[in-house]
Amino acid sequence: MEQLEQALTMIFTTPLVPAAFAGLTWGILGSSLPGMSASITMALLLPFTYALPPMPAIVMLASCYIGAEYGGSIPAILIRTPGTNSAAATILDGYEMNRQGRGGEALGISLWSGVIGGLWGLAMLVLLTEPLSRVALLFKPTTYCCLGVLGLSLIASLTSKSLLKGLAAAVLGLMVATIGTDPVSGVSRFTFGSPDLLEGITPIFVMVGFFAVSELMMRSGVKPLTLKPNVSIRVRLPKLPMMKKIARAQAIGSSIGTVEGLMPGIGGILASFLAYNEARRWSKEPEKFGHGAEEGVAAPEAANNTTASTALVPLLSFGIPGSNSAAVLLGGLLIHGLLPGPRLFEQNGDVVLGLYTGSFVANLGQILVGMLILPVSVWLVNRPKPYLSAFIFALIMSGIYTVHMSLFDLGIVLTAGLFGYFMRYFGFPILPAVLGVVLGGMVENNLRRSLQLSAGDLSIFLEDPVAMVFLVLAVLIVVAALLNEWRLSAKTRKASVA
Amino acid sequence: MRKDLLASIGLLLIAAAYYAATMTIQESTLGQDEPIGPTGLPTILAALLAVIAVIIGARALLAAPARGKSSDDDKEAEAPWPRALGILVLGSFYIPLAYVLGYPLALVLLITGICLYEGLRPDWRVFAVAIGGAAIFWLIFDVILGVRQPEGLLF
Repeated sequence: MEQLEQALTMIFTTPLVPAAFAGLTWGILGSSLPGMSASITMALLLPFTYALPPMPAIVMLASCYIGAEYGGSIPAILIRTPGTNSAAATILDGYEMNRQGRGGEALGISLWSGVIGGLWGLAMLVLLTEPLSRVALLFKPTTYCCLGVLGLSLIASLTSKSLLKGLAAAVLGLMVATIGTDPVSGVSRFTFGSPDLLEGITPIFVMVGFFAVSELMMRSGVKPLTLKPNVSIRVRLPKLPMMKKIARAQAIGSSIGTVEGLMPGIGGILASFLAYNEARRWSKEPEKFGHGAEEGVAAPEAANNTTASTALVPLLSFGIPGSNSAAVLLGGLLIHGLLPGPRLFEQNGDVVLGLYTGSFVANLGQILVGMLILPVSVWLVNRPKPYLSAFIFALIMSGIYTVHMSLFDLGIVLTAGLFGYFMRYFGFPILPAVLGVVLGGMVENNLRRSLQLSAGDLSIFLEDPVAMVFLVLAVLIVVAALLNEWRLSAKTRKASVA
Repeated sequence: MRKDLLASIGLLLIAAAYYAATMTIQESTLGQDEPIGPTGLPTILAALLAVIAVIIGARALLAAPARGKSSDDDKEAEAPWPRALGILVLGSFYIPLAYVLGYPLALVLLITGICLYEGLRPDWRVFAVAIGGAAIFWLIFDVILGVRQPEGLLF
């Protein structure tokens, strides 16, 4: 009750509401551009939050994530191109509805289901995060080190078809994290005499380079789809009978989104496709799916909006981001000196409460902003792509400069973009590398602190049961992924022989 | 699988360069109190990357005859690498331009350059959009947000 009062006071006395609406607006606009995923949209916003106080900065980023999940469905429904990966399942029935002249209705269902999914996800986030983070109070340096290893192996095995490529990406990220002054001995590493590198590589530069610059490179010269110039669509929110009709699909989507969001590396795309399939299985009219079924839009949209909130549970509890977008949010927390885990709740309770309140405001505000902003989104989607690419590049250069007022940082971002491009070109996943950069310090510092405590005796890890559980889990995950890969390649070989 | 082989060579080169740079790191003055030292993790990472690179390369060589269709075949449309590198090179010109010409002019040139590179014909509209865009960015950053952008040597 006391926290509810505090939250209400926050709404009226802090810049939380403008931050939520600004993030939401940017999230919807950014991700309505095909190819601009939620993480890219957030990464572009990240440098702007640098100058803000921690609470509005985090609220802005979280609201951007919420808005991006709806924004991604706009091009999915209107031009059969998902703005974000997780909106891919929305195409199946959303675009069909649009072809039948029901595009506005599909957008309304998407928006409404997003709100329902988002609010459910937020409730789960509030209920689960703090109790889970209390577990982290028991953690010692050995536990943190092994938690980092577990997080990296989990993400490496889940985000790529090839475990080896995932692991290589994680190692590359860890290598980047070692650049700068060694925090234990004070010795400078891999700085090559440059004072600009002494403080290390700021994770947001890597994120912007990996996500945004590499995307601009990937899409250079590729012709995008556009809307018909005379298209004029208005969002039509569902009326009560329709709300009742899609409620079951929304419940299915929200339940699946909850579970998937809690599992690092799974992400919204799997959640939305699973939700779509389950909604079809439990529907009274399964034959309508694929032909413009309203439930076919409601289920995936509820699922990916739920995931947007529940993916923050492992992030806020243990500091392990489960998705690209959560990794960007972690970057936002870190640049404001906020370390996820139990201390975050003890020392920065106001930021956490602000995050919850801001997410609530953003989820509700989605209806208003989503309806008002649609014409702008449609206008943006129809701009010539060269203008969009040029303005995004200009935004990256201007935004990054604001972080340290240094042109050197722009070079780091472009170099990260080059690496990100080649990683994607060769089929390496980006998220393990980003996670390596973010978690590298935690893994190394805790490893060295543990070994300092034990005078170099590795058996200190055996004395920590939680650390051992994490380590065994990490090994099991790697072995399971290797076995799965081996089984798949054997199957492919058999099929090619046949 | 040719891509995997190339990736494997690239990773090996990175591992070797990283290891060579690790060898130049100063020893820790903490001595016995610091069992791993500043070179400990980097050495492990270089070795780990080299091992992974060798396995990726070996698998690519072994798997080559068995697989007919490349895993890249079902990828969505993307730019060929020389074109992709082109936009990065163009973007990198912004750094010296901003240093010499200052933010607004460098931004006009960046926007114009990318628009032309991405296929727009050089007419007055492109230049108008570039000048207008740069003015909006300058207004947002320098005037509204009060964040100083690069001041050039000339302007």
